[in-house]
Amino acid sequence: MAFIYDFLHGDKRRSPLPPKKKEEMPHSRMGITYKEWHDRAQGRHTWRNRRWAFLIFINLLFVISFTFGLGILEGSLSGSRLLGLYLMDPFNSAQELSIAATENYIPRLTTNFWTGLMTILIFYWIVGGRAFCSWVCPYHLLAEWGEKLHDYLVKKKKIKEKTYDITVKYVFWVGFILLAILTKELVFEDINPVGILSRSMIYGPGLALIWVVFLLAYEIVGIKRFWCRYICPIGVTYSFVGELSPINIKFELDKCGHCADCQDVCLVPHELWFVKRGRATREVHYTGGDCTKCGLCIDACPGNALSYGIRDSDKVFD
Amino acid sequence: MKKDPKAQISRRQFLKASALAVVSLSVVGGAAFWLKKQSTIKDKGLLRPPGAIPEEDFLFACIKCGLCVQICPVQAIKLADWDTGLAYGTPYIDADVQACDFSCDSIQCAETCPTAALNFQIFRKAGEDALERLYKKYPNRKLPPQMNPFVVQIYAMKRAYKMGVAKVRTDQCLAYHGKGYEGPITKHKAILRPPGEKERIRTDQTHVKREICDLCVIYCPLEQDAIVLEKVEENKYLPQVKEGCVGCGVCEMVCPTQPKAIYVEPEKFSV
Repeated sequence: MAFIYDFLHGDKRRSPLPPKKKEEMPHSRMGITYKEWHDRAQGRHTWRNRRWAFLIFINLLFVISFTFGLGILEGSLSGSRLLGLYLMDPFNSAQELSIAATENYIPRLTTNFWTGLMTILIFYWIVGGRAFCSWVCPYHLLAEWGEKLHDYLVKKKKIKEKTYDITVKYVFWVGFILLAILTKELVFEDINPVGILSRSMIYGPGLALIWVVFLLAYEIVGIKRFWCRYICPIGVTYSFVGELSPINIKFELDKCGHCADCQDVCLVPHELWFVKRGRATREVHYTGGDCTKCGLCIDACPGNALSYGIRDSDKVFD
Repeated sequence: MKKDPKAQISRRQFLKASALAVVSLSVVGGAAFWLKKQSTIKDKGLLRPPGAIPEEDFLFACIKCGLCVQICPVQAIKLADWDTGLAYGTPYIDADVQACDFSCDSIQCAETCPTAALNFQIFRKAGEDALERLYKKYPNRKLPPQMNPFVVQIYAMKRAYKMGVAKVRTDQCLAYHGKGYEGPITKHKAILRPPGEKERIRTDQTHVKREICDLCVIYCPLEQDAIVLEKVEENKYLPQVKEGCVGCGVCEMVCPTQPKAIYVEPEKFSV
């Protein structure tokens, strides 16, 4: 276990680099005040807009493919077919495989299932695992808007901010797999807002939407990003896939002014642990598996210290 | 072990959150077990698409993607809603509204299913066996040039799997009362390919006139194998459902009475 931890989080354990002196800070080097430097990224939403456009496009593609019988992207986010190539939701498949293993059903799964699952795993390993969350998942978009409302309510002191231990999502992941094996049902799929939303958009709304509305309402007035942060086992599955993804968020220490704005907009701020003054252990860091590659931090960063990059490419080219 | 107060707080937080997680998981699991006991699915008697494996396996094998829904050319397949309990998201056929008329000529809903919840192997084997029997009939396995082996293949495939079986409500039946039928095949919009024809028709736009109502018999995709009209006594007729009925539901869809004089009872899954 220690070996795996070191492999994944070794950077965290190294002794930190000495904190920057004032003259090394980016604003000093540019000869402007910290406030001037900090305001440079105000109102920048480049990546967010691109991402929202992509997310809406993908989900619309599902809808119009069915409505007009185009056959481009068929099925739903539980399982689909892109121009004839099958794609499988990894957590759905994980549940299915767990039950299938106990029911001797595995040999009956089709080649399409296996190629679909492999395609998804390889694709999301390349683009960064939880990139699915922020770039494809329709619930993520609703939750993002819900988060804005939530933040507004917190600002107005209508509600109090509460956070929980994020690792509880692993308990849920194991729990949902166990439930699947015990009940011989894809239990999670019955309450999965991602699948429910996807199916509702494509095949028409149903009663199950009540649950999604309830969940969203709870995220607004209760715990911020409750589902995505603490529960969603789909996200957890993708975080396993993306733990060592080549495409990642790259952090360059010399451009960072330690304003921590990136952590404020981030769904998983612990992935940006290195941005606080005196924490970074290397000149360049990359985010880990929990990072959804949403790019909100890139937009928020006044020094452009964060960008999309290829993991460890700096080491290769050095 | 050194005592790190920060680590202790986070450990306590984790345990607290985990306890909550276990409680909520138990609630979900309990609800699932309760729903399973209620057997809402069997009571509801969902008519599954062709090739559906036994219900108990079907409920975990189906990943609720809806690919079968999308590929069906007559859009006979729908996904069940929350009111069916654990069957939520699984495909079924509402034969009343739109039945499976096999006009796809390939059972592609089963073929497209990635998890074999709709098991295409049943149809593949039936088709291959039929072809084999056909080829064997001819010397050197050479078919006459005008013969289309595909017809033989799909003929066998359509008959390979029982979704359900048609039942007759005698006193509802127009033919039993010696009545005919005139009007559109169905009042609502539906699609059907009458047996022996090449094109599909819109049932609400097709006018039929029968001296004695026998819509269920003339539109049955399996024709004489599944249903015939029998004379009970003078001016009294009844559809007779035969062994070959696979429960596609076309008879139920075209039956003009309300409630339907003929309806499909889904296969009782006994595993």
